[in-house]
Amino acid sequence: MVTYLREVDAVFRALADPTRRDLLDALFVQDGQTLTALEERFPMTRFGVMKHLKILEEAGLVVTRKRGREKLHFLNPVPIRLIHDRWVSKYAASWASALAELKTQLEDTP
Amino acid sequence: MTNLTTVSFARGTAPVGDTAVFEIFIKTTPERLWEAITDPEMRAKYSFGVETHSDWTVGSTYLAGIPGAVDIATGENVVVDPPRLLVQTFDALWSDQVRSQATTRVTWEIEQVGDSCRLTVVHDQLSAGANAELYGGWPMILSGLKTLLETGELLTTPGSLMYATPRPDGKEPPS
Repeated sequence: MVTYLREVDAVFRALADPTRRDLLDALFVQDGQTLTALEERFPMTRFGVMKHLKILEEAGLVVTRKRGREKLHFLNPVPIRLIHDRWVSKYAASWASALAELKTQLEDTP
Repeated sequence: MTNLTTVSFARGTAPVGDTAVFEIFIKTTPERLWEAITDPEMRAKYSFGVETHSDWTVGSTYLAGIPGAVDIATGENVVVDPPRLLVQTFDALWSDQVRSQATTRVTWEIEQVGDSCRLTVVHDQLSAGANAELYGGWPMILSGLKTLLETGELLTTPGSLMYATPRPDGKEPPS
């Protein structure tokens, strides 16, 4: 069995929290942020943001890279792709993407 | 929070810094993973059906595509250190839109972790407002690579072998 099964619980646990989804949103809008930059965007302590980032890192949804003295946080979409490929791929991806696109278009239209 | 409804990878409007990072754990050896990245036939099985040809020496070029049909990408192998590190320049060739984009860089890092490998693909030197198509294919490629090495099977996600002949969905590959 693929190692994916070991990791999938951690991904869903990480995504179950609204603050952690907001952190991923923040990295989606601007990738490669420092803890300090992320902390400024959230009404919580530095320790609180660190704790959430650690859970996202353990799930593989956030990857850190050093640049000079800075530690940058990047959104890693691969674990979500693995979940997609597990369930959606074999059956209905074209339907699902068409419906998702329709939803986006309708909701974007003023 | 920022309103995200106007941001779409599909429409290429997702903002990007100069770096995108993709990481995956694969239960395999560094040697086998290196082979899967550098062997044209293995590479095609998880890269939209696209073969990558090179002699994999430092300073050599590589060309990804379907020979005689379509070119996908080319560049120089800047660092070749098997089975740990491969740094390449990346010029996309698959459409007029991506051909007009500046040269970027792709780094493959392989690190053994227990009985698995951590593979990190860093696609950087992206210009401001770079076309998201340049780096948007990595999650599907890495998912297919993991599936191939761990199960020997091909990913069946629609589009995952879009350039292959024959295609799993029976359609003609785009030219």
